[in-house]
Amino acid sequence: MRENELLARAREAVELAQRCGASDAVASLGAGRSLEFQWRDERLEKVQENASQGLGLALYVDGRFSTHSTNDLDPRRLASFVAEAVELTRLLAPDPFRVIPDPKLYAGRPGDLLDLVDPSAVDLPRERCLEWCRLLEARARAHAEVVSATSGVMSGTSLSARVSSNGFEGTRESTGVWYGAEVTARDGEHRRPEAARWVGATHLADLERVEDVGAEALRRVLARRGATKAPTQRTHLIVDREAAPGLLGRVLGALGASAVQQKRSFLAERAGERIASPLLSITDHPLLPKLAGSRHFDGEGISARVLPIVERGVLRHFYVDTYYGRKLGWEPTTASPSNLVVELGPKSREELLRDVGEGLYVTSWLGGNANTTTGDYSFGLQGHAVRHGEIQEPISEMNVTGNFLDLLQRLVAVGNDPEKWSSFRAPTLVFEGIDFSGS
Amino acid sequence: MPSPSDSFSVDAACAWFGVDRALCARVLAAALDRGGDYADLYFQHRRACSIHLEDGLISHASTSVDRGVGIRVVRGDQTGYAYSEDLELEPILHAAKTAAAIAAGNRAVEPPGFGLRLSPDLYPIAEGWDQIELSRKLPLLSRIEGLAHARESAIVKVSVGWADADERVLVATSTGELRADRRPMSRIGLTLTAKRGDEVQSGGSNIAGRRGLDWYDAGRLDELVRDAVDRTMILFEAVRPPAGEMPVVLAAGASGILLHEAIGHGMEADFNRKGVSIYARMLGERVAAECVTVVDSALHPYERGALNFDDEASEVERTVLVDGGILRSYLHDRISARHYGVASTGSGRRESFRHVPMPRMRCTYMENGPHAREEIIASVSRGILAETFSNGQVQIGAGDFTFYIKNGWLIEGGRLTAPIKDVNIIGNGPQALRDVTMVANDLKLDTGGWTCGKDGQSVPVSQGMPTALVSKLTVGGRHA
Repeated sequence: MRENELLARAREAVELAQRCGASDAVASLGAGRSLEFQWRDERLEKVQENASQGLGLALYVDGRFSTHSTNDLDPRRLASFVAEAVELTRLLAPDPFRVIPDPKLYAGRPGDLLDLVDPSAVDLPRERCLEWCRLLEARARAHAEVVSATSGVMSGTSLSARVSSNGFEGTRESTGVWYGAEVTARDGEHRRPEAARWVGATHLADLERVEDVGAEALRRVLARRGATKAPTQRTHLIVDREAAPGLLGRVLGALGASAVQQKRSFLAERAGERIASPLLSITDHPLLPKLAGSRHFDGEGISARVLPIVERGVLRHFYVDTYYGRKLGWEPTTASPSNLVVELGPKSREELLRDVGEGLYVTSWLGGNANTTTGDYSFGLQGHAVRHGEIQEPISEMNVTGNFLDLLQRLVAVGNDPEKWSSFRAPTLVFEGIDFSGS
Repeated sequence: MPSPSDSFSVDAACAWFGVDRALCARVLAAALDRGGDYADLYFQHRRACSIHLEDGLISHASTSVDRGVGIRVVRGDQTGYAYSEDLELEPILHAAKTAAAIAAGNRAVEPPGFGLRLSPDLYPIAEGWDQIELSRKLPLLSRIEGLAHARESAIVKVSVGWADADERVLVATSTGELRADRRPMSRIGLTLTAKRGDEVQSGGSNIAGRRGLDWYDAGRLDELVRDAVDRTMILFEAVRPPAGEMPVVLAAGASGILLHEAIGHGMEADFNRKGVSIYARMLGERVAAECVTVVDSALHPYERGALNFDDEASEVERTVLVDGGILRSYLHDRISARHYGVASTGSGRRESFRHVPMPRMRCTYMENGPHAREEIIASVSRGILAETFSNGQVQIGAGDFTFYIKNGWLIEGGRLTAPIKDVNIIGNGPQALRDVTMVANDLKLDTGGWTCGKDGQSVPVSQGMPTALVSKLTVGGRHA
């Protein structure tokens, strides 16, 4: 379906809901397709073609609210689905806070060029994808100790249209292309460490060369061989740029208005307070060209704007949607993150490691969790020991444990090296005096 | 006992999806006409409902419909896959042609004939979820909220989440299987926030299974509320344990998460076929003490991991992974079974018609051992007892696994001395199995709603455990 057809069908769904008795309704229609190739040990392993469409519907009926989705768009069945949905809504409790978003929030939609569509990323020729798979896997497998290597190439496009009964209409289209490799290597009698490198962007031209991606996967797996558990200790924590979003993302989980209103946020009472080292600034930035999280409006139709989340360590904004905003008496900001941008420091990872001298460098997390109510966290990790300012032997089977309010104050350096096309642009981060458990 | 399932026969399924045997046969023939060895069709229709209670109001419900047919063509270890959300013949044939292109030949294929297969009936429920009106579910949520407030006055927020689903599947294979199943699923989750002075704590509990409405009786709801309140209120006294290596006693029930991560994933045969599992060359070897027998079974009635047949129409079974400490069998789907020249263990599962099947766990647990729970706790001079969990993860090849403890106890001098909270545990699979030194006789399957993720696909699973001692794992915690 094309943009105009999606919009037309979304309008029809809103009208249908209103005919069935809804006082207000919001319809979102989405359509996407993608093609994926997987290659393993010198031959094609899997080809999969995906094509999906679906309707999402939010209904406001006599002060009551419900949401629905279906991928069965047959007009007759859709009509009865919507009629049943409206009747079901009438059985729920009326809730004065459940109202359709204020149309004032739809105003001032930015016109920035987001540049999310790359025609060359769609319908990539099969031969080209297979050649990339072959190259990725050949580079990833180029070592005698490799047991198995798998590579993959995926490309696709998605289009959505959103229409509300109180005047909102909008569409969004984006393309995406991803590729990478996973490698497993021998390490002693039974251990077979694995590692991967995947890259993805809206535009094909922005990705690293396939040869380099495959070679990086191999470099990573070879670096994992001989990993051991380091002693239980208190030392510097150096978080790789690829692991940083996983850590900071847990903190952002406490910034949703629902967590605040339900008293399950350790940051609830801390707006305007210093919650982190002054080195930390995080901005929600929906208007950066080519980034996958970019958008002109959010999931409620609220016009996009740049939102400071943490400014030099001070908590500035929460993620506030219409419902929980009304419950809290707060103005809505946006319901969910777009792109997250961490303000960079002046130094590269290598310079930071030299400054630090000693510590544990985390390349990825392994399990663990955090408690958003208290800020307590405990994560499994793998990475490398750092001594004399350089990366040393691989480490595994260790945990890092503490509380975010303490951790964030211990941030002592921020790198300058984010992944260019990640929608969570975080660089290397360095924390001091962090507790690790090991042998 | 196997019996033809009258609740959802093949004929009823064909009528439901608007297809017949001739259409299935024709599509399968088209799927194989480029030279594939095997093809299957997976028709699926899922209706789901969720309801939310918060701040004393049930003011949000959701419903969804998702349907389609997935078409898979296999040639050796290679797979071609496509699906159609439209159940008319033309789009289905188009998807079949797309999937067929994994092979590059050209040949005429006889359409298969379909035989009658008997299936067990592991989750019969009195009424299907799509016949039960919302008005019959709402009182359960209100009742749970009332029980929670009545039980503990320090509770300031009660959130109850309800989810039910009615799923119909029809699987047709080029080897002549044609099987239909109706798979119910339901879950209630309760999340509580309590306040004492300035301190706020939140906790919760959930119960789930392939269950009908009648399962959620007064006793069951009381138990759910009691667990959730107890787990929340004890957090006010709970501490972080000391950091480092120590003995870990796994409480009966949800501790089966250790088996899921430490050995279950590593025994999925696709990883072994590719040589990337740490268990890849250990079949027949001793991997644990004699008291350790680990099972993965689809046959436990009403469990989340229960299946009448798997998502490739294969017979299901009780698969013994570790028998008296000896590594016995991988978990196989059709591709790996053919690769190894064995029968499928009925472990081919998929998230939906949009996904290829692969070997997955169902209900994973350890059989009873000779000890008593008290005896095991008494044997530990300094360690922890792990009781409730939120999540776990494993690296298949390196064998490192983790799981996160929400509640537990410090053990000092053979006695439970202080409650603990929020710590991650990390270990290595084969080492942890070797370190299981005591197993009790109190096996319990957990009734929580566990979901397993692999290669981007989620499937419902169950797990269970008798109380057991792992003599050494690395515990995240505070420094002295």
